[in-house]
Amino acid sequence: MTQTAAVASERPSLETAGDTARAWLDANLPQGLREDILQEREPTFAELSEWESKLHKAGIIGATWPTQYGGGDLGLRAHLDISREIGRTPMPESVNSIGKELAGPIILAVGNERQKAEYLPAILEMRNIWCQGFSEPNAGSDLAGLRTKAEKTDDGWVINGQKIWTSGASKSSHCLLLARTGSVEDRHRGLVLFAVDTSLPGVDIREIKSIDGARHFCEVFFNDVVVPEADMLGSPDQGWAAATRVLSIERATNRMHRAWRFENQLQHLVSACAENPATRRLVEHDYARPLAEVAVNIELLKGHVETLVGSLIDGNEIGPRGSLPKMFWSEAHQDFSKLALDIVSRFPPDLSDPLRAVKRRMEDIYIKARAETIYAGTTEIQLGIIAKRILKLNWER
Amino acid sequence: MTTEYDLSPEDFADTAKAVVNACAEAGTTADRIALLADAGLTGILAGDSCGGMGLPVDFAVPVLHAAGAGMLAAPLLETMLLARAFSGTQDDLATAIAIGHTKVTIAWNGELDGAAGTVDRAPLAEDCDAVLVFRRDGSAILVTLGAGAEVMAEDTLDLERPEARVVITAAEGPELSAETVTELQRIAQILRSALILGAAEDSLERACEYAQDRRQFGKTLVSYQAIQHHLARQCLAVETIRNSIARSLSPHCEMPVDAARATFIGATGLGAKTAETAIQIFGGMGYTWDVPLHRHLRFVRTLAAQGKAAELLDSVAQQLLSGDNIKKELQRAS
Ligand SMILES: Cc1cc2nc3c(=O)[nH]c(=O)nc-3n(C[C@H](O)[C@H](O)[C@H](O)COP(=O)(O)OP(=O)(O)OC[C@H]3O[C@@H](n4cnc5c(N)ncnc54)[C@H](O)[C@@H]3O)c2cc1C
Repeated sequence: MTQTAAVASERPSLETAGDTARAWLDANLPQGLREDILQEREPTFAELSEWESKLHKAGIIGATWPTQYGGGDLGLRAHLDISREIGRTPMPESVNSIGKELAGPIILAVGNERQKAEYLPAILEMRNIWCQGFSEPNAGSDLAGLRTKAEKTDDGWVINGQKIWTSGASKSSHCLLLARTGSVEDRHRGLVLFAVDTSLPGVDIREIKSIDGARHFCEVFFNDVVVPEADMLGSPDQGWAAATRVLSIERATNRMHRAWRFENQLQHLVSACAENPATRRLVEHDYARPLAEVAVNIELLKGHVETLVGSLIDGNEIGPRGSLPKMFWSEAHQDFSKLALDIVSRFPPDLSDPLRAVKRRMEDIYIKARAETIYAGTTEIQLGIIAKRILKLNWER
Repeated sequence: MTTEYDLSPEDFADTAKAVVNACAEAGTTADRIALLADAGLTGILAGDSCGGMGLPVDFAVPVLHAAGAGMLAAPLLETMLLARAFSGTQDDLATAIAIGHTKVTIAWNGELDGAAGTVDRAPLAEDCDAVLVFRRDGSAILVTLGAGAEVMAEDTLDLERPEARVVITAAEGPELSAETVTELQRIAQILRSALILGAAEDSLERACEYAQDRRQFGKTLVSYQAIQHHLARQCLAVETIRNSIARSLSPHCEMPVDAARATFIGATGLGAKTAETAIQIFGGMGYTWDVPLHRHLRFVRTLAAQGKAAELLDSVAQQLLSGDNIKKELQRAS
């Protein structure tokens, strides 16, 4: 047997968590939720929520969480296998990804037993929807400049301040709030994380219309909101450490499926164009190489994701290396979105439904992709992190 | 990384660095091959019955990384590949290659259709005893250089491993099957990426060092965000190559053949960009012959041509547009 054959035979058996997930997804994704066919209307929040709770019942979501909190107790490798299948399936993005991928892991890491028992199953069952209250009008990239104040009183913590760009806040039941106990000059010190029930008196949420026409991100005002002591996550001094952890998860493992979703978008574009002689010619003559470059980038992105997972399995922390997949993905995906828009904008009139569907999807991706180099830390901020914390460059200020 | 072997790939990194440094002082290609062979590096992939170690491809990665970083002037990639390819079928030959007795190279461009023809892109052929030549039917033949196979110096971008043309009038010698050649080409994609990784990482390190030392406008260059961002982008490029090599060799990789091809195509673009950026950061100094960044750049571009990066990109396009990817997906699903 040759050495490569030996390597090949070590590959995982077909009976992986991913295979089970794929079979379930193939059989159960409702037509109305498919992103690769022409839809008459957008799915409602209730439909999306119901779909996600089904995903949890099928063991596709929450795979790595302990069974006592509704999870599947599987390892990260299984999570990666499942994520691949989620990515390959043209289904909508989660409406509770902040709960599942940021709040949940942070509660698992720093929360107490009561908080875990109360919040974690509710996230998976879609009874609680979470948002992330970090950014403020004067604290975006410079998050440590946040001003939202948490004062300790006999009744609990009193919160005053304002958050902005809070995705999904108007639909959420809980906010993962980062606030400070001292003054702005304390910077990273004195920051504290809370699980805030958004129905508490004094929480005022206003939607903001974004460039894609959606009203998804919001301003959230906190006016003398009294948060019980029991809803503080971790200790007051752990706030920045916990927040940094949230951010590195957000950059690295959050939406682990995105390399495969990206591939699904590319394949959708190519296969839809192949159906019609004019669009087929267009793609083959004018775009073959640029599309191949996208396919290569997708493989390179998988390299970042899969080695990061391997490194986590080996017990390493994500740390600043979370910036690598975030940057690579956001820029490669933006490049693809421009190319895809270029292609669909040259479509002939009289389009069939499959071509109309792909045109609509690619236009939507193009507009939404503008946010990808802004949220979870802008490109400029990621470059700063790489320079300082990975390359460890020294410079004078 | 844990393996069934007593060694891990990283164990070879320090030895490889030391031997590559020693090679820089050695006078001839033959001396360098002897040093590499004495340290066991030429035979890492050769079977253990052929003077080699019979190790998997991962073990050659840190060695070629060191060779790329240290601008090794020897056909180490070709030697490793051929010692491995002839193991099992022609053990004496594999042994002679692995221990450095027979110095070999590969003519990466051109194919023979019959017994005569011209091939080129054979690094350091002038210093070698034999050259592997690909044939139209997919197989290959190791031709002894001399009477029936004349080496002609060629214009060459690469300074460390100058390429030559070989004019063949009578192709005779040991053969490799088409299947072995396919395998050799695939492994070459990963190992070339490791050479590029070494060259790119050395370019980046030199640029970081220079930017932290050189002062303009009263501050070090690295104090300027434009320079920090240049360096950070190249760090992302280097880590992208490193991670993609690791993925291509991982037992968990779903499609290792596609992954190896993408790794190599990606590495050629990213590696060249890293060397180009380093030259930019050095300013006028970067344009001097003595600063070796141009050597890395020349090397990466030459490896891209030897590995046919442009043609491979076309093959990715073809696979994508033919719907083969989607078919593969469906096959995987069933
Ligand atoms: C779609 C979307 C969803 C979001 N969802 C959430 C959410 O759910 N929760 C949440 O807390 N936040 C959320 N955000 C906010 C996001 O994290 C911030 O927008 C981001 O961190 C940038 O902050 P900013 O908008 O204040 O921009 P600024 O920090 O003002 O930056 C403006 C520009 O200046 C650049 N810049 C800033 N500082 C530097 C520097 N030191 N060097 C060089 N350039 C610099 C930036 O890169 C950017 O290009 C979301 C944003 C978007 C777009």
